[in-house]
Amino acid sequence: MLGGWLGRVLLAATVVAAADRAGPFDISLFNTQNAPDAHGQARLVFGQSPFGVAVTADGRASYDVRITAAGLPDPSTLGRYSAYVAWAVSTDLSRWDRLGTVTNGDNTVGRAEVNKFLLVVAAESTATSPHTGPTVLHGTSPSGWLQSFLSHPLFRGIPP
Amino acid sequence: MIGGKNVLFTLAFALVPAIASAQQKPTKPAKKPSSMTGMPGMNGMPADSGRRKPGAKPAPAMHDTSSMAMGSMSMPIPMPAGMPMIPGLVGLKPPVGEFLPAKGVDPRTLPLANPTQIARLKDGDTLDLTAMLVRRVINGRAFAMYGYNGQVPGPLIRVLQNATIVVRYHNRIDLPSTVHWHGVRLDNHNDGVPGITQDSVMPGGSFVYHVHFPDAGIYWYHPHVREDIEQAMGLFGNVRVDSPDRDYYSPVNAEQTLVLDDLLINGDTLIPFGKDAPDFALMGRVGNVLLVNGEPRYSLTVKRGAVVRFFVTNVASSRTYNLSFSGAPIKVVAGDVSKFEHEERVPSVVIAPAERYVVEVAFDKPGRYALVNAIQAINHYAGEFAAEVDTLGFVTVGATPAAPSYAKQFATLRSNAKVTQDIDRYRQYFGKAPDKRLTLTVSISGLPLSLPLATVQFMNVDTAYYAPVEWVDGMPDMNWLSTSKQVRWIIRDDATGKENMDIDWHARQGSVIKLRIFNDPKSFHPMQHPIHLHGQRMLVVARDGVRTKNLVWKDTAIIPVGSTVDLLIDASNPGAWMLHCHIAEHLGSGMMTVLRVDPAEAGGR
Repeated sequence: MLGGWLGRVLLAATVVAAADRAGPFDISLFNTQNAPDAHGQARLVFGQSPFGVAVTADGRASYDVRITAAGLPDPSTLGRYSAYVAWAVSTDLSRWDRLGTVTNGDNTVGRAEVNKFLLVVAAESTATSPHTGPTVLHGTSPSGWLQSFLSHPLFRGIPP
Repeated sequence: MIGGKNVLFTLAFALVPAIASAQQKPTKPAKKPSSMTGMPGMNGMPADSGRRKPGAKPAPAMHDTSSMAMGSMSMPIPMPAGMPMIPGLVGLKPPVGEFLPAKGVDPRTLPLANPTQIARLKDGDTLDLTAMLVRRVINGRAFAMYGYNGQVPGPLIRVLQNATIVVRYHNRIDLPSTVHWHGVRLDNHNDGVPGITQDSVMPGGSFVYHVHFPDAGIYWYHPHVREDIEQAMGLFGNVRVDSPDRDYYSPVNAEQTLVLDDLLINGDTLIPFGKDAPDFALMGRVGNVLLVNGEPRYSLTVKRGAVVRFFVTNVASSRTYNLSFSGAPIKVVAGDVSKFEHEERVPSVVIAPAERYVVEVAFDKPGRYALVNAIQAINHYAGEFAAEVDTLGFVTVGATPAAPSYAKQFATLRSNAKVTQDIDRYRQYFGKAPDKRLTLTVSISGLPLSLPLATVQFMNVDTAYYAPVEWVDGMPDMNWLSTSKQVRWIIRDDATGKENMDIDWHARQGSVIKLRIFNDPKSFHPMQHPIHLHGQRMLVVARDGVRTKNLVWKDTAIIPVGSTVDLLIDASNPGAWMLHCHIAEHLGSGMMTVLRVDPAEAGGR
C-alpha cells in the first residue's frame, strides 16, 4: 500500500519537475531509435481569433502547432518514405489528425483542436498518405500532464 | 508563497510526514458550523409568484451540482457532480464574516426588480440613477439583491455619439459605492474610482457624474467598490452609444442586448460574500446559475431568415463564456470601443468578464435555437476534460419569412475603412520595443490553512498543467476558502519590481504606449486575467509574438495563462486611470495599478 502511494507521489513529482521547465504551450519532443539524432520542440499558439482566445464551438482550444526540429535524417534513409508528417493523435491512438509536413528548422504545421493529444512526427510514404511509417519524434500536449488522483486513498476517505 | 519551483522540494520532504500525519490523524468528523437559516437575505423564501413545485424540472442553465454534507450545512458550496471534496476541507469556512444585502430587512418588503427599461437621453439631459435594494425571483425563489432604479440590469442608456449627459447618482444600498463608466473615455474625475477620482458615496449619499461619450458602441456601468458583492448582486447596466452614421451597422431585423451573469446559489440560498474581504479569491466567484438579462432563461421569437444583432456584455465576476446559437451562423462586428477592421464569421463568441462584442446571427430555418455556453471543464481529480453545455435560453424561429430579408447583407463581410484609417495612424508603433513590461502572478500566504500535507501535495501536483483559460471553478470548496487576506494577485513592473499600486507609471498625453503583459504560469494558481484599462482605448497588437490580423479598439483584453500580450495604448485622455484585472475577486485582492497620463502642456515622464 505504502509502496503504491510512494510510487504515485514520486511519479507525480517527476511530472511536476518536467512540467516546471515548460510553459502551458510548450511540448518537448523526444526521439526514437528510428532517428536517434533527431530532436525538437513544439509550441502551441492560439489561432487568430477576434476574441484573442481561439476555441471551437464546444470550447476546445484551437492551436496552431509550431515545430522546430533538427537532426532529422532524409526520410528515405528509413525506408520508402519521402516526408515527415506531424500528427495530432488521440491518447488512445484511435484518431490521427494530419497536421502537416515537418522538415529540419521551423515549421507551422497545422491546427490542433483536441483537448489532450500526442504529437507524433513520423516518416510517411508521401506528405498526404495515411499514417503507416515509423515515428521519429513524439511528445504530449501540455494537458497530458493532467493526472488522475481518484485512486488516492485520501480521496476515497481511506487513510493510507 | 508557494511557487511552482518549490513543488519538488515540497513533495520530497513532505512525503514521510504526510504519510505519518495521515496515519496518525484520521479525518475528524465534520465540524458543524452555525446554521445559516434565519440569516437576512440568506434564505430563498418562497416567491410570491413562480414558485417551483416539488418534482418540477430542474432550473435551466444551472450546473449539475451537488452540495457536500448538506445535511449538516458544513459545506454549503455546491460541488460539481461526481467530484469529491478535497480532504481536510470539510467544516472549514473562509476566515471572514458573512455578508448578504439587506441585513435586518424582510426581503418581502422590498420592491420586485423590474426588467431593463430604455432611457433615451439627449445631449445635456439628466438621469437620476439610484442604487437600491430589490427583490429578485430566480427559479422560483426570492432574494434580497441590488438594482439600479429598481431594474436588473439597470436602465439601458441610449445616447448619440458625442453626447454628454448628467447622471445624479444616489446610493440607497447598504454599502459605500460609486459608478464607473466602463470603456468610456470620459473626463477623469467622473470615472468613479474611490481613492483615485472621488470618495466613495456612502449609503444615503449622492454624486453627480458628467459623462461624455466620444465613441459609438456598447458600454456598461457598474460600481467600483466591492464589485464582488455589488456587481454580483445586480448593479450593472449598459450604455449604447449610437453613431450618427445610419449605415454604421448593417441592417438587421432585430436588435437585442444580452447581459451575461451568473449567481452562486445552493438550493434555496445565496452563498454569502466575505464581509471584510472578498472570498473566492483564487478563481473568483463562479456562479452555478447562469443568467441573461438577470433571468435564468432567455427567450426571443423571430421570423424565419431573420438577422438579429446582439450587443453582448459579460458582467460576471469571473466566468468567461463561449456562446453559440445551435449552429446558426455568427458574424462578429464590433468589440469594446469600435468596430473590427473586418467583419468575421466565427463559430462562437468568447467573452471574458467586462468585455463586449456586437455580433449578428442569422436564423435561417424554423425551429428552436438554443443559446448555449459550451466549454471544456477540467476534472482535476480524474485529470480529464469534461464538456459542459449550459443552455441560457432559446430563440424560436417561426415559419413566416422575415421581411425585408437581410440575408444578402448578412452574407457580406464588411470592411470598415474608417476603423482601419484610424488605426493606420498607430501602425508605426506596432513594432517598437515595449515601453512598459508587466508580469501577472499571485502570492499566497496562510493557505492552505491546516490541510493535510497530502492535500497540499495534490494541489501542487495538480498545477503541473495550467489551462490557458479556466472556464469553470473546478475546486469550488478550496476557492471559497481563499480570501484576499491570504491571496494577493499581483501586477509586477518588470523594470522596478514594484507591484500593484506601488508602481509609479506616468505617460504624456498624446503618447502611444506599448505595454507588454506576461501572465506567469509558474505560480501556485495561475489564471487568465481580463485586464481592463480605464479611460483610454487600446489595441491588442500581438499575442505570443503573433501579430493580430483584424484589429479592434478595446478597453479589456484577456491574458491567458502563459501568454504574452502586446497592447498599444492611445494615451490621449489625461488623468489617473486604473489598470486592473476585471475578475472582481482578483481586483479585490490587489490586482490593480494606475496609469497617470499627464496633460500634454504639463509635460510628462
